[in-house]
Amino acid sequence: MKNFTIKKLKIRPATIIVFVVAMAFILLMPQVNSGYKMLCLNLTLIYAMVALSISIMLGMGGQMTFAGVTMMGVGGYFTANMTSGRLGFAIPTLPALLLAPLFTALVALALGLVLLRLRGTYFTFATIGLVQVAWSFYSMNKPAFGGYDGISGVPKLDLFGFVPADYNQWFYILAGGLVIVALIIERIRKTQFGRSLAAVRDNETAALTLGINVYITKVYAFAVAGAICGFAGALYAMMNRYISADTFTFDVGVRYIIMAMLGGVNNTIGCILGAVLIGMLPEWLRVLQGYMQFIYGIGIILLMIFMPMGLSGVFLTALKRYRKKKKIKLEHRASQTAAEKGEA
Amino acid sequence: MLNNLIGLTVNGLAMGVVYALIAMGLILLVRAVGVMNFAQGDLFMLGAYLSFTFIVNIKLPYWLFVPASLISFAIVGLIFMAVTYWPLREASYPQAVIIATMGAGYVIKELAYKIWGPVALSMPALVINPETGTTKVLEIFGIKLQWQYVMIIAVCAVLIVLVFMLFEKLYAGRMMQATAQDKYAAELIGIPSVVTIAATYMLVTMVVSIGGYMVAPVFFISATLSSLQLRAFAGVVIGGFGNLKGAIIGSLIVGLIEAYATLQWSSYKDAVVFIVLIIVLIFRPQGLFGEKIADKA
Repeated sequence: MKNFTIKKLKIRPATIIVFVVAMAFILLMPQVNSGYKMLCLNLTLIYAMVALSISIMLGMGGQMTFAGVTMMGVGGYFTANMTSGRLGFAIPTLPALLLAPLFTALVALALGLVLLRLRGTYFTFATIGLVQVAWSFYSMNKPAFGGYDGISGVPKLDLFGFVPADYNQWFYILAGGLVIVALIIERIRKTQFGRSLAAVRDNETAALTLGINVYITKVYAFAVAGAICGFAGALYAMMNRYISADTFTFDVGVRYIIMAMLGGVNNTIGCILGAVLIGMLPEWLRVLQGYMQFIYGIGIILLMIFMPMGLSGVFLTALKRYRKKKKIKLEHRASQTAAEKGEA
Repeated sequence: MLNNLIGLTVNGLAMGVVYALIAMGLILLVRAVGVMNFAQGDLFMLGAYLSFTFIVNIKLPYWLFVPASLISFAIVGLIFMAVTYWPLREASYPQAVIIATMGAGYVIKELAYKIWGPVALSMPALVINPETGTTKVLEIFGIKLQWQYVMIIAVCAVLIVLVFMLFEKLYAGRMMQATAQDKYAAELIGIPSVVTIAATYMLVTMVVSIGGYMVAPVFFISATLSSLQLRAFAGVVIGGFGNLKGAIIGSLIVGLIEAYATLQWSSYKDAVVFIVLIIVLIFRPQGLFGEKIADKA
């Protein structure tokens, strides 16, 4: 007789809470905001995708990389070149949106094969070099990247006939994209690849003895992170309808790292929260506009002092402490009842 | 052509020694507290701004300017340490300190923007031609060199030698090195690690700020000065990470590459520097002068 019980699908209450909050956020935001505020929110969603790509490399794989911003540029410029017709041809927007991550993944794969032969800090420095080189080409090379003027005239995304008319409609598309990216990352965490990556992060030698190909695992992670950045870049190009090199500088790259770190680098929800915080803070604190960067910098330092593992780290530690307390209480009660039984 | 080449070499060396100052500061901090300082360029910029205030706004005479500026640089270093290192020294998460220096970079940039305004400031050169009011031109054998570049090379070279001597030869430097290598053991043999770390921070800020003061007349003083730290990063890596001598030579190489690159690909000179960096990393990841050691982030 075979056992026919279906594996129970476990849904934790936390998952439901996150789902409900996310749905409420997605449905509510376009109702209460519009115009410029919506643009900031939309950009934040794109930032969140890049922050998530950093969470793959840094959070799961332990490799500090600045390359996210460059990969976003690859995707963005690819889309702009393909769809704006400046090269003499134009492909429809939806295929371009799907091809951009693919193309970026290939570029990232090739770069990763070279750069990831370096380890730890050296790899980080190489990515800094990459960002600088790419930025020089983005801002100087006229034929491929439009030089200082950038590339304008990128058409809007045409999603089976649905063309977003304003930023509010864009919001739904971007939110959908972000949810897909987040789900993919949550899925990767559970796969063999994700676990190998975590093993590489925790101890490369140990991972090697377990039969994990450390180098190739890192290269794949770099490619996947690249694909996500490429996707973000393509969406950015189509929403902004214009792309130029100053979106892809080293300073902007640092900002993405901070977003990922702020929320908690190995936590999907945390990364999104970090991006929202950094992206929307200037909007929320409009009154303090003149001192924004100042507060922002001090805030980062304070955060690192008081919660170095990011927002999600604080939450998770609190949760752990709560559970431990509960457990101790339960054990205490159990021992008491046992003692009472013994007396009786 | 030859004259041109010599001129470029001097320019390249001048920028190289400035990068070397920044790079030395980076290495000293990495060795002392294990922190990659991403605000180094901002400290550099702050040095330029502070000296501008002393020279142009307050109009201090030189004999007063030197001690006043050095003391203010040291104070900046002390504040920087108190904010980005001290509260985080027990942090279990090494990246936290690095992120904190990035945050400090934002604060310094914004502070400079608030105090000195968004307009780029121009600093008078050290040796001024009285007729034009700009930097004097030195002519040797028909080769025209700007005095400022010569001064940069002279001052920075002296500084580099001094810092090098301090760390490699003198007792105080050995104390700092001992703390850097093993804080616990250093405290056991009676070296006050707090003092040596504070001294390292102060020294680094002073050295970097002097670099900022020296290049200020060549460029305008603005927030973009801080981007020079990336070239210093490149110099550190090319020379060999964690090695003072390597960092100095690597930075000189970066300066020269940058200068010669202007001959052929002037708009891509940034790219050339970093392509060289990536090539060096791929073929000799430990740098030109580095020993092969396990990675220590």
